[in-house]
Amino acid sequence: MKILQALIKKEFLQIIRDPSSIIIAFVLPLISILIYMYGINLDTVRVKIGIKNDDANPEISTLVKSFGHSKYVNSVVYDNENDLAKGIVRSKLKGAVIIPNDFSNKISKGQNADLIVITDGSEVNTANYVQNYSMQIVNQWLMTGRYARLAKPQIITPEIRVWYNQDLNSHYFILPGSLAITMTLIGILLTALVVAREWERGTMEAMLSTSVKKIHIVLGKYIPYFVLGMLSMGFNVFMCITVFKIPFRGNLFVLFAVSGLFLFTSLGIGLLISSKLKNQFLASQVSLGIGFLPALLLSGLMFPINSMPVFFQHLTRILPPRYFITFIESEFMAGTVWEIVIINSIFLTILGLILFAAVYNNTDMRLIK
Amino acid sequence: MNTVEIKNLTKNFHSTTAINNLSLGIEKGKITGLIGADGAGKTTLIRLVTGLLLPDSGEISTLGFNPSVQKSLLNPKIGYMPQKFGLYEDLTVIENLKLYADLKEVPYDFDKLLEFTNLKPFQERLAGTLSGGMKQKLGLACTLLGSPEFLVLDEPSVGVDPISRRDLMKMVRDLITPETTVLWSTAYLDEAHSFDTAVVLDKGQVIYNGNPHELAETPQEFENKVIELMGGYKKEKSLIAENYVPHKTDVECTVEADKLEKKYGNFYAVKNNTFCIRRGEIFGLLGPNGAGKSTSFKMMCGLAKPTSGTARLMGIDIIQNPEKARSNLGYMAQKFSLYGSLTVRQNLEFFAAAYGIKLSERKKRVEEIINVFGFSDIQEQKSEDLPLGFKQRLSMACALIHNPPILFLDEPTSGVDVITRRDFWNHITSLAKKGVTILVTTHFMDEAEYCDRISLFYKGEAIAVGTPAELKQKADAGNMEDTFIKLIKESEKE
Repeated sequence: MKILQALIKKEFLQIIRDPSSIIIAFVLPLISILIYMYGINLDTVRVKIGIKNDDANPEISTLVKSFGHSKYVNSVVYDNENDLAKGIVRSKLKGAVIIPNDFSNKISKGQNADLIVITDGSEVNTANYVQNYSMQIVNQWLMTGRYARLAKPQIITPEIRVWYNQDLNSHYFILPGSLAITMTLIGILLTALVVAREWERGTMEAMLSTSVKKIHIVLGKYIPYFVLGMLSMGFNVFMCITVFKIPFRGNLFVLFAVSGLFLFTSLGIGLLISSKLKNQFLASQVSLGIGFLPALLLSGLMFPINSMPVFFQHLTRILPPRYFITFIESEFMAGTVWEIVIINSIFLTILGLILFAAVYNNTDMRLIK
Repeated sequence: MNTVEIKNLTKNFHSTTAINNLSLGIEKGKITGLIGADGAGKTTLIRLVTGLLLPDSGEISTLGFNPSVQKSLLNPKIGYMPQKFGLYEDLTVIENLKLYADLKEVPYDFDKLLEFTNLKPFQERLAGTLSGGMKQKLGLACTLLGSPEFLVLDEPSVGVDPISRRDLMKMVRDLITPETTVLWSTAYLDEAHSFDTAVVLDKGQVIYNGNPHELAETPQEFENKVIELMGGYKKEKSLIAENYVPHKTDVECTVEADKLEKKYGNFYAVKNNTFCIRRGEIFGLLGPNGAGKSTSFKMMCGLAKPTSGTARLMGIDIIQNPEKARSNLGYMAQKFSLYGSLTVRQNLEFFAAAYGIKLSERKKRVEEIINVFGFSDIQEQKSEDLPLGFKQRLSMACALIHNPPILFLDEPTSGVDVITRRDFWNHITSLAKKGVTILVTTHFMDEAEYCDRISLFYKGEAIAVGTPAELKQKADAGNMEDTFIKLIKESEKE
C-alpha cells in the first residue's frame, strides 16, 4: 500500500508541476466546448437563395414577397439568369427559385404549374433545406392567396410534436456529446504520454530495480489520472449546465457513475498505447488516430451509426464512445432511462476490464532491448 | 564467496551478439570496475546481472538468486543506478529521496546521505534544475537508500567534472560497509585503476579480470595496457586532416572573445571573458559543471545573445554579422544532435546543404567525406543505430563537411571509449597542424594535455589561462587533474 501511495503522490506532484497536463485537462475541454457551442451549428437558419420572376402577373409578386418575409430563407431577387447562376457557382447562393412566365397562367387554368428550384448538391443537407423551405413557402402562399380555391385541399395535416428537444436545438445534444470526445481526449492523451515518459527518461529502469510490483505501476497510473479526468468532467458538466444553459434532465449521480466507467476505458486505451510504444511522440500520434478520430466520427455523434456501412456499424461496437454518447445524450435530454444506463454501463465495464487486463499484461517488468 | 557468479552467458539482440559465452565471478566486499569500448557489452551485462534483461543461455547467480526468475527477491538487496540516474526531474531533491525510500520500503533516513552529498541546502530544489554533478550525487543517494548489499552503477561519472567525480568516489567508499559489493562501469581508466578489481570487456567477452595495479603501476600505464588488451591503437596519418584544404588569413585572432558577459537577473553565467585564439591553436575550456563553459560556447557561435561584449570569428563580428561569421565555423554539440532516423549519407547530404555547399559540388563532397571517414560500409545505416563512437565520428564529419577554418567541440568525447578518444584526438591535433583553429571543452583531464592553451573556468570567470605546463607549474601539481582541483579550491578561498 505504501508503494502505491508513494507512486500516486508522485504522479500528482508531476501533474501539478507540468502545465501541459492542466492544459489538457481544463483548457482544452473549455476550448472544445466553445467550438461546439459557437462554431458548430447543425441547424440551417436563413439560407440565402436567389429568386427570378419571369411572370409579369402582379399577383405573383406576392409570392416573391412571401420569400422575402420568410424567417427560414434570405432571398435576393435577380433579373438576370446569368447573375443568378454565377451566385450559385460562387457559393454566394445556396439555391435558386425561378418562376416561369406561364406560372400564373397555368394556375388560373387549374393546370399543373411548374416551379424551378435549383439546389447545390455539393452540400446535401443545405440542398434539402432549400428544397423543403421553398416548397413550404410556395404552399403557404398558395393556400392563403387568391388562388387558394384552385389548390387541392389537403386531407391530412400532421401535428408534429418534437420530444426531448422541442426547439430542435442541435447544441442540446452536441454539447453533451462533445463531453464524450473531451473525455476520450483527456483519458487517452494524458495517459498515452506518462508511461512512455518514464521509459524515455530512464526512471522506469530505476523503478524496476526496487520493490515495485506490476499492479503498483498499473494502478499508480490509473488512479491519479482517473481523479484528474473526473475533476475535468465535473468542470465540463458545470460549464455546460450553468454557463451554456444546456438543459439537464437526468441524475448527476448516474451521470458521473457512467462517466467514470467511460473514463476507465479511455485510460485503458491511453495506457496500453503508452506501455506498448514507450515513446512519447509516437504515443501522442497514435492516441489521436485511434482515440480522438473514432470518437468524433464513429461514435454516432456527428453521423448516425444506422447510416454507416455495415462493417463500420459493427466496428463501433468495440469503441467505448459509442456507448457513452448514447448514454449521455439521453441522460441530458430525456432524463435517466434505466434501460439505456444499464446496457451501456455493461458494455463500458466489459471494454474497460478487457483494456485493464491488456494494460496489465503489456506492462513490462524488464527491458526488451 | 562471490556476489555474482556467471557461467557461459550469452545474449543476442537480433543479429548482434552483445554477450558471448561469458563467465565471470564478482568478489564480495570489493569494488569491481567494468571497462571496455562502446558496444563491448557493459550495460547489457549489468542489466543481465540485475535481472532487467533475460539471458539467451547460460547461468547467472546474483546474491544467491537467479535474476531471471527471482527478481522480486533480489531487488530489495540491490542498489542500481542506470545511466540516466533515474531521477524525476519535476520532483524536488527530498521528494525524490522519499519516493525511492517508499519504493524500496525503507525508512526516511536521509541525514547522512544529505550531508555526504552536500545537498542539504538544496532539498526543496527540483532535481531538473540541479547541475550535472549534483544530479549524479542525488542519483547515487537514491541508489544507496536502504544500504543495499550489492551496488550496481552504470557509468555514473559520464559528463561530470573531476571534482564531482572525486566526491562521488568518496561517497561510495564512505557509505558502503566492508561487506558491500560494488560493480561500477566507467569510461575513465584512472577511476578503474583505483578499484580493487578491473574487468575489461571486449566484444561481449572478458579479456582481463584482475587487480589493476598488477597490470600497471600508474593510471597512464594502465590506460596503455588496456588499449593493448583491446587490440591496440596504432597512430596513423589522419586522412581527415590530409584532406583538409587550409584557408589563408591575415587575421591575428581567428577566434576572439571580447569582454563577453551573460547575466541572468543578478547572476553572472559568464563574466568578462576575453581571449584570443590564433590560427592552428587548440584552446581548451575547462571547468566544473555549471561554470559557464557551455554558455560561453553558445555565445561564441551566436546561439545565445551576450548581455554585453562580443565575439569575432575570422575577424567577423558574431552579433553584427552572425550568418557570415558562422559560415567559418564547424560545430559539434554536446549531445548527439544529428537526425537519428536519417542514414549516415542522408545526414551528410543534409548538413552539406545546410552549410550552403552548392548543389553541383555537394555530391562530390559527400562522397569524399564518406571515403575519408571510412563510412562506406555504414552509409546506409540509420544514424541512431550506430555505436556511440561512430555517432561521434559522424558528428565530426558533419561539422567538417564545409571545410571550415574554425572548429568548436563541446565535450566531444563524453562517454566515448579510450581507443576512440585517442583516434579522435589524433585527427584534432592533425587538423590544428593544418591551420584549423579549435575551441574545445572536456572533462577528461588527460585530454587537456593535447591543448596548446587552457582557460580554467569557474563560476563564470576565467581563473587561470596558460599552457598545460604553465598551469601545472602554477598549481605545483604533477598532473592536470590535481592542477584543476587545486586551482579551483584556491579560487574558492579567495
